[in-house]
Amino acid sequence: MRISFKLNGKEVACEARDNTSLLDLLRVEMGVRSVKKGCDQGECGACTVLLDGQPVNSCLVLAPQLMDREVTTVEGLQEDPIMRGLVESFIEGGAIQCGFCTPGMLLSAYALLRDNPRPTVEDVKRAIVGNLCRCTGYVNIVKAIIDASERMRDE
Amino acid sequence: MKPLPPFRVHRPRTLGEALRLLKEMEDARPIAGGTDVIPAMREGALRAKNLIDLTLIEELRGIWERGDEILIGATTTLSQLERSETIAERAPALRAAASSIGSVQIRNLGTIGGNLCNASPAADTAPPLLALNAAVEIASEDGTRTVPLSGLFAGPKMNTLKPHELLTSVRFRIPPDGAGMSFQKLGRRRGHTISLVNASAYLELEGGTCREARLALGSVAPTPIRVREAEELMRGRRVTEDLIEEAASTCYELVNPIDDLRASADYRREMARVLARRALREAWEKAGG
Repeated sequence: MRISFKLNGKEVACEARDNTSLLDLLRVEMGVRSVKKGCDQGECGACTVLLDGQPVNSCLVLAPQLMDREVTTVEGLQEDPIMRGLVESFIEGGAIQCGFCTPGMLLSAYALLRDNPRPTVEDVKRAIVGNLCRCTGYVNIVKAIIDASERMRDE
Repeated sequence: MKPLPPFRVHRPRTLGEALRLLKEMEDARPIAGGTDVIPAMREGALRAKNLIDLTLIEELRGIWERGDEILIGATTTLSQLERSETIAERAPALRAAASSIGSVQIRNLGTIGGNLCNASPAADTAPPLLALNAAVEIASEDGTRTVPLSGLFAGPKMNTLKPHELLTSVRFRIPPDGAGMSFQKLGRRRGHTISLVNASAYLELEGGTCREARLALGSVAPTPIRVREAEELMRGRRVTEDLIEEAASTCYELVNPIDDLRASADYRREMARVLARRALREAWEKAGG
């Protein structure tokens, strides 16, 4: 089946079997390797992308369901001020250990700060509950997201 | 994880087209958010040659106030329920249940119709909807029928829909002023967790006396259940801490939980009583008791 959708602001098209997940489509067909394959069943959040701006597990979305929709990964937000602030805070705050969960974590954090510039620690925890960090580096991740929200407000 | 088996995805734009596909296509299953269907297909627990994707059908998605009822389309996402002012105001226990499910990513995909049709005994939207006396509308090429929600559940992961039928909406009467509701959940973690036990209570008071009581429990029987004995016990009586304790205690005897990797049957039985008590107490407070 011919699939066309918007990926990081650009119209893209490709051939895909109906049983291809968005995750496999991105990694194999589109070469977007920031989107990680962890559990492949909606538990770990390593494959998180924004679908029409909202975080979803890309392992649970089928290629045909993408028609005319918009997919955003961290690559598409490199110039975005909220994402830049998050990346800086993650690096400075030691919020990255092995890095496998980081792209998904950043996208969940991005969606939170975009919709709620003044999150509480509880809000942050709720926003990233679906992003597992098996290095268990949650303390610094939560701090980095709060830190990024404070920097956003100061600027 | 295993790769997905081969299948075709069909994307009808109208309900009529979806119902025709379900009737005509061999081995067809509906799909919306995919949060239950996709993992089940990877595991081999669910097989289908044709998936009928319902997410383009506009008439199936939305939350409407119609007269004295709230109507929720089957493919309304759990996130939409969580954000809806109508639900927050009219059925806050349903909002609490929806926002307790999975993660942000799961709630952005998962739908109320999927949560109900998946027929998990632990489905979190089931207890508040049972406590609201909700009904579901079921459509097929042969017509539509409305059944009480309790009639949808046949057993663990089994619903009563025929292969060519589709759940199209859930509806319930708007609770009157002075009604109180509660949703309670116990999981292994505070977030992104399946309920070990969940409970919802609905109470209407009239001068301190219980005019109506409804209590529903999940994950303690093959399907989500109403605890009618507890309800009968409360109706017409003056609500007190002791009455709530008595009603909650009936749950201990009436539930039929299983041992599994998440909790023992004994623990679930004990927690059924605890969660029923918490739910009845909160509903009582909200009802002005």
